[in-house]
This record gives sequence, structure tokens and C-alpha cells, in this order.
Amino acid sequence: MNSLIAELLLLRKRAATWILLGSWTAIALLFSYVFPYLAYTSDTNFHGRSIVLYMLLPQSLISTIHSTFPFFGGTMVLILAILSVGSEYNWGTLTTVLVQRDGRLKFFLAKIAALAIALIPFVLAVFALGFLASSIIALREDQAIALPPILDLLRALGVGWLLLAAWASFGVLLAVLSRGTALAIGLGIIYGLVLESIISSFGRRIDLLDQISKGLLRTNGYSLISSLGGSLPEEAGPGGFSGTMVSGTQALIVLGVYILIFISVSAVVVKRRDVTGPS
Amino acid sequence: MPSDYVIESESLTKRYRPHIMAVDGLSMQARRGEVYGFVGPNGAGKTTALRMFLGLVRPTSGSCTVLGEKPGSPHALARIGALVETPAFYPYLSGRNNLRVLARHAGVPYARIEPILEEVELSGRGDDRFKTYSLGMKQRLGMAAALLKDPELLILDEPTNGLDPAGMAEMRHLIRNLGRGNRTVLLSSHLMGELEQICDRIGVVKDGKIVAEGTLDELRHGTRIKLRAKPVEQARELLAALDGVGKVETRDGDTLLIEADPTLAAYLNTLLVTAGVEVSELTSVQNSLESVFLSLTGEARLHE
Repeated sequence: MNSLIAELLLLRKRAATWILLGSWTAIALLFSYVFPYLAYTSDTNFHGRSIVLYMLLPQSLISTIHSTFPFFGGTMVLILAILSVGSEYNWGTLTTVLVQRDGRLKFFLAKIAALAIALIPFVLAVFALGFLASSIIALREDQAIALPPILDLLRALGVGWLLLAAWASFGVLLAVLSRGTALAIGLGIIYGLVLESIISSFGRRIDLLDQISKGLLRTNGYSLISSLGGSLPEEAGPGGFSGTMVSGTQALIVLGVYILIFISVSAVVVKRRDVTGPS
Repeated sequence: MPSDYVIESESLTKRYRPHIMAVDGLSMQARRGEVYGFVGPNGAGKTTALRMFLGLVRPTSGSCTVLGEKPGSPHALARIGALVETPAFYPYLSGRNNLRVLARHAGVPYARIEPILEEVELSGRGDDRFKTYSLGMKQRLGMAAALLKDPELLILDEPTNGLDPAGMAEMRHLIRNLGRGNRTVLLSSHLMGELEQICDRIGVVKDGKIVAEGTLDELRHGTRIKLRAKPVEQARELLAALDGVGKVETRDGDTLLIEADPTLAAYLNTLLVTAGVEVSELTSVQNSLESVFLSLTGEARLHE
């Protein structure tokens, strides 16, 4: 418990945590509410305008906000996790911490637990601000302000956390394997923003890539939110997704297994590998 | 009954890839309550050995116990304070908050932090971020972190690095005080003067091995005789032929440095004067730790 408190203090006091949280919520609001609403108000003739408005109202909060999780949210918490774990190597603080009392595993698990807790405000903040934005739009458009059923909302929060946890655990693995932040962030962003999109998009024509894409983080993320009735981003837009979906249950299991594998492999490496190389 | 040895290593070896032998069969013992100095040239394997004692690096072979436990075990770490290489802390946290984080990990109450900040004279800057600290302040914060647990064993790697002369003197004074009583201090340094002033025993490390170990007197074993004479070559020939006289070196033209028991001084004087050599100075000279170190590590040629 003491180590968990220490790790939470580290995350709370770090400016990068708040910058990532701010960036994530700002991007989520811009792409989910601000830009679509501007499009809605500036072009009164486009097809499907009423559907756009429906998606911007509080009753559609879950599906609208969820669609930003696998792409923007995942990338933001991937960076958060890499900074949290990889900086220990960059600054050499791993040496300082590991000569205190805790064993390596206890220290690592405390760090993971702190990260898991830190993801909660990342989920709550976008939902809260999403509700605020959708309520403002509802008021401007003379629409009713109605939240989704509370159970659906709780389930949506849980799913949001799971999606972020999968990406964060991937970040943890990259940071541990690369013993730092720079390479891990570079690889993580290339994978998250580029590689998955390319594989999914070629998957429509190449069967092998289609099968591979069914195991990717983003495919399973979108499949999970889609199974809850969530909407998908447009194919051409940011985070556009054109891959084949899997069932919600399969997506849930795959994401859970990813978290388990990423964290277990990282824990084994932290426990067994020398903290430093030759001096 | 607890062992007299706080650290015991036997043939401790660390190899990085086939061709990098960082520590090569290091065997040493640090006794309870002593200040043990680890001295050796850069790259001799001192820091790697310290990392193995702390469980940060796993040995390739050999064995080691620290406070009777396996290195890195939580039970041992709870009784060890360490400062390894440059002090590493979270740059965005204040000195005080850095110690809070470590206190949490170590299971030490926050109440320990203020007296320790006072002890290392950082209480006035305790709320400033670590990244604004000078190297000397970082070193002192490292010392504070090492003392947080009131440890039985203190492992310090180059603790005076970056300190000004006054700071170095204070640090030496602090380490000497910390080494009093039952606390053991393992101190790594390449500053001979520092070790001479602080340590009870010293282990000289070269190429990952202990090449000499003992008290200062044991290491500086024997004294030499300094002789100023004319003609110096005649004196040199006479002395070199004598039993009981070892190496005779010429220094500064008319001065000889003779490996011999100082009690022979009177006999040598008589012998030289009888042979017509004019002796103007005859004194015994004690080996310095530095000269012992340089001869043991084969680095003397660099300093001649």
C-alpha cells in the first residue's frame, strides 16, 4: 500500500500526466462534439444531418465518446504508461527505488496499480466533459437533456477503462523492453497510429491481413464499443477504421488477454533482468 | 549468533557478453562496524560489485551474502542505505517529496525526513525541485536518501563526487561519524586521501579482482629510506650489493629511495661514509596509499 501511495504521488505531481489528460479530453471533445456540431450548423443541407444531431445529444453520450477511445485515448495513455515506467530507466531512479525495501515485483505491481488508478480520471473526464458539451448542444438546439440509463453508463465507463488499460499495458511493455521512453514512444505511436490502420485497410483485400487485423488492439477496441451500440469513426477521418469486426465477447477476451500478457511479460523482465548494463 | 561479516563474497563474477568481464572472482569480507574502502581505477569493477551487493545486478557466478541475506532481498534492503553512482531522483519533484516517495517505498515514517534534511543541510532548499539542485546538493540529497532507513550497512559509491573542498571535508566527517558504533560503511572511491582519512580497512580492486586487502598500515607495509649522497652512483652501487637492501631507485639527481628496514639507517650511513661517500640526508619515508595503489594497479608509469 505504501508503494502504491508513492507511485500515485509520482503520477499526481508530474506535469505530463495533466498535460496528457488535458490533451486527451480536448481532442475527444473537438472530434466528438465541436467539429461535428460546426459541420452541422454550417451546412444545413447535407444528408444525415438529423443523425449527426442525434449523436451530439446527451442520450448518445456513450457511443459518441466511446468512439474516441481506441484511437486518441489509446495513444494518450500509451504515452502516459511509457513515461511512467520508462522514465525510471532514463533518470536512473529505478536504482534508487529498488535499493529501498520492496522487491522488484512489489515495486512493479505498485506502479501498475497506480497507472490503473490514474486511468480512471482519463475515463471520467471525457465522459463528464462530453456530457457537458452534449448538454450545451441540446440546449442550443432545444432538445431534451437525458442521460443514458445508469447501468449502461457504468458498463460504458468500465469498457472505456478496459480499452485504455490495454493500450497502457502495451506502453508498459514497450518501456520495459526498451529501458526508456524515446524508442518506446516512437514505436508505440507508429504501431498505434500507422501500422494498425494499414493492416486493417489492406485486410479488406488480403485474407491473411484480415485475419491478423482481427487480433489487433484497435479492431478489438472498436468491436467492443460497437457491440455496446457505439458508433465508429468515419473511414477517412482521424482514427478511421475499415477493418473486419469481431464479436463483443471475443473482443472483451482478447483485450483482457492482451493486458495479462503485456503485464506478465513486463513483470518477468523487470524481475529477472539486471537493472543496468556494464558501466 | 550473527556473523562478524556484514558482506561476504566468494569468487563473485559478473560477465557481460563473452568479452566484458566486469567483476572477476571477487572475494572480500566487510566486518561489522568498520569503514571498508573499495579503491580501484575507473572500470575496475567497483560499481558493478556494489550493484551486485544490492541485488541490482545478478552475478554470473560466485556467491555473496549481505547482512546474512541474499543480495536484494527485502529483509536485507530494509537495513541497507545506498548511494550508487550519481544520485538519481525524480527531477520534477522537490527534494522533500523525493524523500517522501522513498520513505513510502522503504516503509519509513515521514518524521524521519526533516532531521535528515537538516543533517545534510538541505532543509532550506527542501521544497525546490531536484532539477534545480547543484551537483553538491544532489550528492547531499543522495546521502539523505541513504540515511533514511537509519541503516546498519551504508554503501556509498563516490560520495564526494561534485563536492567543493569544504563539502568534501564535511562529507568525510559525516561518513567517519556514521561509521562509528555498530554501523558498517562500504565506501568506494578513487580519492586516496579520502580513503586514508576515513577507512579502517581497504580493498584494492583491479580488473574485477581484489589485489590487496588490509588495514592502512598493512597496505602501506614497510617504509623506505631516503638518502641524499655524493657521489650518488657510488652510493647506489654500494647499497645495491648489500644483503637486506631491496630496490634502489634514483630520484632527483643525488637522492636515492631504498627499500630497506629503517633500523639499518645507521649501518648504511657508516658504510657509505667509510667508503668516502658524503651523506647529507638520511630519513625514513612511509609509503603513501597512493603509491601503494599505483604500484598495485600498475598505473605508476602514468604518473611518473
